[in-house]
Amino acid sequence: MFRALYTAASGMTAQQMNLDNIANNLANSGTTGFQQRQVNFTDLLYQNQIMPGAASTQQTTVTSGLQVGLGTRPSETEIIQTQGDFATTGNPLDLAIQGTGFFQILMPNGQIGYSRDGSFSTNAEGQVVTAEGNPLQPAITIPADALSVTVGSDGTVSVTQPGQTAATQVGTIQTALFVNPGGLNAVGNNIYLATTASGQPVVGTPGGSEGLGSIQQGMLAQSNVSVVNQFVAMILAQRSYESNSRVVKAADEMLQQLNQLAQ
Amino acid sequence: MSSGYYAACAGMMTRTASLDTIANNLANVSTPGFRASHNSFSAALASTDDEPLSALNQDANEYGYLSGTRLDTTQGALVPTGNELDLAIDGAGYFEVQTGAGPVYTRGGNFRVSPQGQMITAAGDPVLGDSGGPITIVGEPVSISADGTISVNGAIAGKLKTAEFPPATQLESLGNSYYKAPVGAAIAATNTKVRQGQLESSNVNPVTSVVELITAQHEVESMRRTLSMFSDEMDKTATQDLPRVS
Repeated sequence: MFRALYTAASGMTAQQMNLDNIANNLANSGTTGFQQRQVNFTDLLYQNQIMPGAASTQQTTVTSGLQVGLGTRPSETEIIQTQGDFATTGNPLDLAIQGTGFFQILMPNGQIGYSRDGSFSTNAEGQVVTAEGNPLQPAITIPADALSVTVGSDGTVSVTQPGQTAATQVGTIQTALFVNPGGLNAVGNNIYLATTASGQPVVGTPGGSEGLGSIQQGMLAQSNVSVVNQFVAMILAQRSYESNSRVVKAADEMLQQLNQLAQ
Repeated sequence: MSSGYYAACAGMMTRTASLDTIANNLANVSTPGFRASHNSFSAALASTDDEPLSALNQDANEYGYLSGTRLDTTQGALVPTGNELDLAIDGAGYFEVQTGAGPVYTRGGNFRVSPQGQMITAAGDPVLGDSGGPITIVGEPVSISADGTISVNGAIAGKLKTAEFPPATQLESLGNSYYKAPVGAAIAATNTKVRQGQLESSNVNPVTSVVELITAQHEVESMRRTLSMFSDEMDKTATQDLPRVS
């Protein structure tokens, strides 16, 4: 009886978290390179009042056990790895990764962050940096007199300078791959950090033998949030929250019935 | 005192206990691969001698006691997620998972790759291949066919082990969407297809669950009335009114 109250409460808490996550997905539906998350749930422990397969006599066993489940809990937020749409911007330092892989970003604390947001620009020194001003790794500097910048699908960055007929190569972008990208730690600003769950990064040439996606210049990977799916998920979360609160009400009314007995 | 009094009492306890299972089903409407449990009730033996029972006693006895819960094995809806390691089972089978307590079975196919490259469940236990050992996946892209064959970048990396159970097999719910089966009960899957990029949603039917909930609630009420009838009308008549007649 009181189990039902706590079980329903676990369902309500879980649906609250589900809604929090849907809100974050919808809020980031316009964030470049954002990957939507999905909360997955799992059932809690079971109380075995009669074990399934227990003996009912020496020769026979019960046909079904009596197991009472104690509710649900959110088990993980899964990062949905589907490819977002590409938007053509024409900006030479807007880069999109077609396929798997992350750009490597040098964080102010010296750590390497990983990002799929390829909206880069140059800082005062001509270095290629993110919107927050953190440099792309390996560092690439665009000369101040560069007339045009070309990024090849394998990450080769070349510039043309006045008075020169051939392009000059100024660096190569390398991207990183993880065994389990779902295990990365999201720290905001479109940056992920490597964890023991994600494994160590495999750094390589975009479009190369490691399976890294190639780079598309002048494009940005949009968020992969499907607004329609999120609205459907929101309705489901709301309805299951309601049905769990209905259980709380039913348990409460049963208790009232018990109390009336004593009158 | 009337045996119906105790029967009504048992019926009331049973209905309050049955709410726990209904609550667990409704709490798990969003759990991938979750299988709903249903309460089963048994009628209690009313009287051991040949004494005929009143109609009220008989009805109260029919309410019985909670004798077990059984798993609903109907197929849940398959919901596309787009993740290549989200797998759903279309059919009767289960994935086999290695845990510290031996092999367990699950239909919650939200799998991952561990840093060591092993395919694992959301709880971190390795998913077994048909060779009996864990499956190693290193690289991209991963493609999984309907029979469970896994290919990574075009090369075959292994095959998922799926198991089915004969109809009367009793599976024990362990939590984490895991089920434990009696030793030797698993048979090779014949009626099972693996669907990549999808998850099987919980097979809890919210409509049935809410109807069960309302039914349990009303049955508690009617048992309460029965108890009041036994105590207020019958017992009171017997102990207070009858002596006055003489």
